[in-house]
Amino acid sequence: MYNVDAYLKSLTSNAVKLSKKVQDGIVENTRDLRFENQAHFLDTNEDKMRQVNRHSLTEEIRKNLDSKYEKEKLDGLKRLIAVSLVVNRGGVWRFPVMISKGRDVSEFFPDVVKNVASNSLEVRKLVYIYILRYAEQEQDLALLSVNTFQKDLSDKNQLIRAMALRVMSGIRVPVISPIVMLGIKKCVTDLSPYVRKIAAHAIPKCYQLDPAQKDALVDIISTMLGDNSTFTIGGVLMAFDQVCPDRLDLIHPQYRKLCKMLVDMDEWGQITAMDLLLRYSRTQFLNPIGKTTSQPTTRTKKEKSVVKSFYSDDDSDVSHHSSDSESDSSEEENNSVDPDLAYLLKCALPLLQSRNSQVVLSVAKLYMHLAPAEDSYKIGRPLVRLLRTHREIQYVVLNNIVAIASQRPYVFDQFYQHFFVRSTDPVFIRNLKLDILTLIATESNITFILRELQEYVKSSNKGFVTQAIEAIGHCASNIPEMAESCLGGLLKLSYSKSDSVAAQSVVAIRRLLQQRPGDSVFMITQLTKALDEITEPLARANIFWLVGQYSSQLQTIAPDVLRKAAKSFTTESESSKLQILTLGGKLVALEGTASKTVSLLLQYVLNMARYDLDYGVRDRARFLRALVYGKQKVAEATVDQDSDENDHENGQQESDSTEQDAQDDEGGFEYSEKELNLSDHIKAILLSEKAAPVQENPSHGKFHGQIINSPYVKLTMPPRYQRALTNLFPRVVLGREQYKVGSMSLVLNRIVAGYEALPDWPKVQPDPSVRRLAATMEAPGYMNDRTGFGSDSAYAKSRQGQDSSVAGGQGRYDNQAGPYRGAETLDKFLESSDEETSSDEEDDSEEETSDEEETSEEGEEGTSEEESGSGKEEDDDEDEDDEEDASSSEEEAILPPKRANGRRG
Amino acid sequence: MIESLFVLSPTGKVIIEKHWHELIPRRVVDYFNEQVSKAMTEGEDVTREDVLPIIASPKYQLINVYRDGLTYLSPVTKEVDPMMVFEFLHRIPDILQEYFGQVSETVIKENFVTVYQLLEEMMDDGFPLTTEPNSLKEIVPAPNILNKVVTTLGATTSVSTRKMPHGMSNLPWRKAGVKYNSNEIFFDIVEEIDAIVDSTGKAVSCEAHGTIQTNSRLSGMPDLTLSFVNPRLVDDCSFHQSVRFNKWESDKVLSFVPPDGHFRLMSYRVNLPSQQNLPIQVKPSINIGANGAKFDITVSLRSTDGKPVENIVLTLPLHKSTTTLTAQCNVGQYMFDPVGKVLRWDVGKIVPRERAPVISGSFGFGSASDAAANAGYNIGVEFLINSHSLSGLKVDVLKLFNESYKPYKGVRTMTKAGRYQVRA
Repeated sequence: MYNVDAYLKSLTSNAVKLSKKVQDGIVENTRDLRFENQAHFLDTNEDKMRQVNRHSLTEEIRKNLDSKYEKEKLDGLKRLIAVSLVVNRGGVWRFPVMISKGRDVSEFFPDVVKNVASNSLEVRKLVYIYILRYAEQEQDLALLSVNTFQKDLSDKNQLIRAMALRVMSGIRVPVISPIVMLGIKKCVTDLSPYVRKIAAHAIPKCYQLDPAQKDALVDIISTMLGDNSTFTIGGVLMAFDQVCPDRLDLIHPQYRKLCKMLVDMDEWGQITAMDLLLRYSRTQFLNPIGKTTSQPTTRTKKEKSVVKSFYSDDDSDVSHHSSDSESDSSEEENNSVDPDLAYLLKCALPLLQSRNSQVVLSVAKLYMHLAPAEDSYKIGRPLVRLLRTHREIQYVVLNNIVAIASQRPYVFDQFYQHFFVRSTDPVFIRNLKLDILTLIATESNITFILRELQEYVKSSNKGFVTQAIEAIGHCASNIPEMAESCLGGLLKLSYSKSDSVAAQSVVAIRRLLQQRPGDSVFMITQLTKALDEITEPLARANIFWLVGQYSSQLQTIAPDVLRKAAKSFTTESESSKLQILTLGGKLVALEGTASKTVSLLLQYVLNMARYDLDYGVRDRARFLRALVYGKQKVAEATVDQDSDENDHENGQQESDSTEQDAQDDEGGFEYSEKELNLSDHIKAILLSEKAAPVQENPSHGKFHGQIINSPYVKLTMPPRYQRALTNLFPRVVLGREQYKVGSMSLVLNRIVAGYEALPDWPKVQPDPSVRRLAATMEAPGYMNDRTGFGSDSAYAKSRQGQDSSVAGGQGRYDNQAGPYRGAETLDKFLESSDEETSSDEEDDSEEETSDEEETSEEGEEGTSEEESGSGKEEDDDEDEDDEEDASSSEEEAILPPKRANGRRG
Repeated sequence: MIESLFVLSPTGKVIIEKHWHELIPRRVVDYFNEQVSKAMTEGEDVTREDVLPIIASPKYQLINVYRDGLTYLSPVTKEVDPMMVFEFLHRIPDILQEYFGQVSETVIKENFVTVYQLLEEMMDDGFPLTTEPNSLKEIVPAPNILNKVVTTLGATTSVSTRKMPHGMSNLPWRKAGVKYNSNEIFFDIVEEIDAIVDSTGKAVSCEAHGTIQTNSRLSGMPDLTLSFVNPRLVDDCSFHQSVRFNKWESDKVLSFVPPDGHFRLMSYRVNLPSQQNLPIQVKPSINIGANGAKFDITVSLRSTDGKPVENIVLTLPLHKSTTTLTAQCNVGQYMFDPVGKVLRWDVGKIVPRERAPVISGSFGFGSASDAAANAGYNIGVEFLINSHSLSGLKVDVLKLFNESYKPYKGVRTMTKAGRYQVRA
């Protein structure tokens, strides 16, 4: 009986225990269900929250954190994070309970840190977030957690190891930098590529904590560069970029491997790698771009000469010389591409198919800055593809296309249709597309582009219409053959009912006529006919100027235009009045005082102008009167004014080049020095040949356009400053093409802090053998896992399984023929070629032997791997072989043995 | 280096902020909001979409992405490739979409701890770390009801049931140990037609943009090869990370180990010859006077292989000075939005050999103006054709290696109007 009793007793007690346990479980887990909506932690109802006592909430959170149930801990942490991270930083969801910064943090920090060793991954991760965010403010308390992290670095699970290192390096407490250093050293040799990647990411963080560690970190980086995991290498290169970007010598031995691995890296790694390889290549290879170069040295020289030519005439010769010598030197350069460089370009090419737009752009960058010009057509199509993505990405791509097209328009000319503007495009996209259309217009596509541009004039957006008309003008000056039809189109537009369209067309016509004096008579006659209908001041002013400028060819019409203008003088705008005065002056200058009518007309106009409200007009009238009617004293007094006047005129005539300005000035001073009567030279002064306006390069961007063309600037800025600015201009704002493709500076068209220009090509070929000699750097066994995220043992199994059945070994990730084997074949190849013609240099042979040893080791590894995947079908083996052949022949193509040996000797 | 992220609500308030490197003060958001509202008051019809994606302030370059009403703002201080920042910023809503099904202010607030964890994992100290949805799901579990129920019912043990994922896959984009009872894979080939058609009905530019959306529910580590009947049609394409580029280069087949779940396998572009028959023709005629205009628009079917065209919607944005509009249509219904000045005509479905839908009517300007009289008109067109591919690209065969089961395979095609615009 006793037994039974005891049995029953134990049974009941067990049952009680069980039921309690179940109850606990259910209670705990129902809590979880209740909290499905995380916004619960952030009750936004302010009234309700005001009622909650601050104290009680703090207590509650603390209680949760101390709870033995993980769920409750989790709950407390979530609440804490919500409160401290999101709410506490002021602003959005006002939370009157948790008040000022810092206080609650110090309150909870110990409670949180206590949980750092929790068994639950979820709890831990929240703790990590909290620590990362507040460690800086609570340095001493944060140190409490470091012990746990150190322990975690030896955890079985790769995720925990990685996370521990990540958090530890993320705590910005300088004291712990030695510990971080130890952690990095430990993780660098980790078997998991994921952990190694995190270790690489920790390097720059450690460097920031304690720059004194640099040397040790560089050592680590140089070891890690030997890593053959595509997963890790991206992080390593990033660390390289951050810590020791100048140590390009570390890249030598890895160059070919990096090229080969490029296609298999993760997308962000590819971006970093291409940046680095670009920089590397610019210092290690001779310029293959040849004569049509875009190299910065030429550019700066050209710019300089342009600047000079503003001041003196004979500079043009100098600039010729410089460009000649430049082209000479580039001709001397070997136009053939270095095999190593060609290999990089070849490896990067498939990445044009990446879905990551920055990867595509990075390839474009490589091709623009490294490849011979004739290869750059390859980047056109993929860049155009990016136009179908988000508008922000379109914006960047279009900016880059502008820069590329201004150097190499042929890359895009066949894709002109893709740059047609849609009515739904945002403003900034439209303008960029117009710029591109004018840049890529050729004889073959101009008819389509012109038709399209004329369509845009119908838009209801005025700014866009103006741009479109300007674009037509640009097209005409770019392709002289088409100027005729462009002019015809513009003339038609100048009759438009819309004032702004008419005005812009006239301005565009004026610019074109200045470039093509041949057409002027007919066009001007047409324009004067329209004068009665055109009301827009800008358009009228431009017509008056044109008539005056070409009056020698318009002897019948010009005086009549002046007559009409005199009649309507009082109603004209200021800019038109100025131009009418100038017109009168020019006519009189041309015909002398012989023609009485003209002279009388001018006097009439001058009289009217004398009482004008605008001082500019009065000023101009006085000046002209003195000039034409030859009062020497006045003339001398006006010499100084002369330059100002010219500025004025220049300002009106929009982007008349400053060159001409300078010439005019010179003229003025010359006369004053010789103390001659100015009126003797009236013809030379008023009717001098005006230099045709220089067409703005659209790649110079809107900034350029705004300053010169904006009426606002013209009105407010004294002419003297304006000219100073324009003279300065070529130096301040250059074309976008001078910036690195893809950079922020290119998009903004100004140098952004931290921008580093590409290094110049070397003048003398650096030793190419550095890449070859060291091609067999030792790579420790752990680094030979090529694939990412490998769980330590399961990974190997799955890889075997996969390899055995994948048809065609040439995969992106499953191949035994990974980068490592590639390096091996290359070495073998080099070895053999060296042996054949081996020179008697002892140093080399020594190195060779050590290389041999290594390669043989690797060879063994390779075979063992192959054995493990012995279940292969025959087909697969064949494929493998094929590929091997292919890759070795590839190497051959890239490194012709003769050449390689030649360099050695 | 991407230093910080602010996600702003449609009213410009911070929903969530994350600093990967150093704290950037919130002032920067105020400055940004100021600039945006300044830009939007500059012109007459400037919308939020017209605000520049990079706004320079004295200290920061404010890189911003505007998507679905939310602004993703990332101030940067140093030179950085802006495209990379945009690419990354766009990944964030992509991934949130993947996790929560939709992205909005409320969704982010409701799941802010998860969002915060995601942001933590996606970026490390300013450099992208894990952005592949499949890998992220290993690290940050997606909230779903099934998960919750499972943990609740598996009541007895402690919460650490959610053991740390032990075996991560060796492919960043595929989880290890995926198992399904029925293995199936579906391909949706969706082609969008981008076209600009002039008033005579001739296509000024015309091309088809296709995407192959894939839903893979296959166990283990399947290795697939998808081949096309006519791959040469493809003019230009981009692939998911899993696709082996070399195989496409050499054999024009897609060889890949698919991620689990939904993903975009491939995007491609097919240039259509300008003579190509577009599936529908829209013939507008608008006669404009000083005070208003008369218009009629006819829609007719062209070549669709006898398939009906569905969901046809025409939108005609009118000049800002338009005040009144009257119209009649024989099919569907129209709506005039007097605020946005847009006429929207819901045509619905057209079956071949039925009479063509027509809308005709007139609209008037509030005040006679030359500008209104000279403005051009653009008609936006939307439509959808099921089981039709305009480019003619066809899937030939899908082979599966590495796994022994036979999956169920499905392919659907669909043609839609993309950026399709008719000039009147």
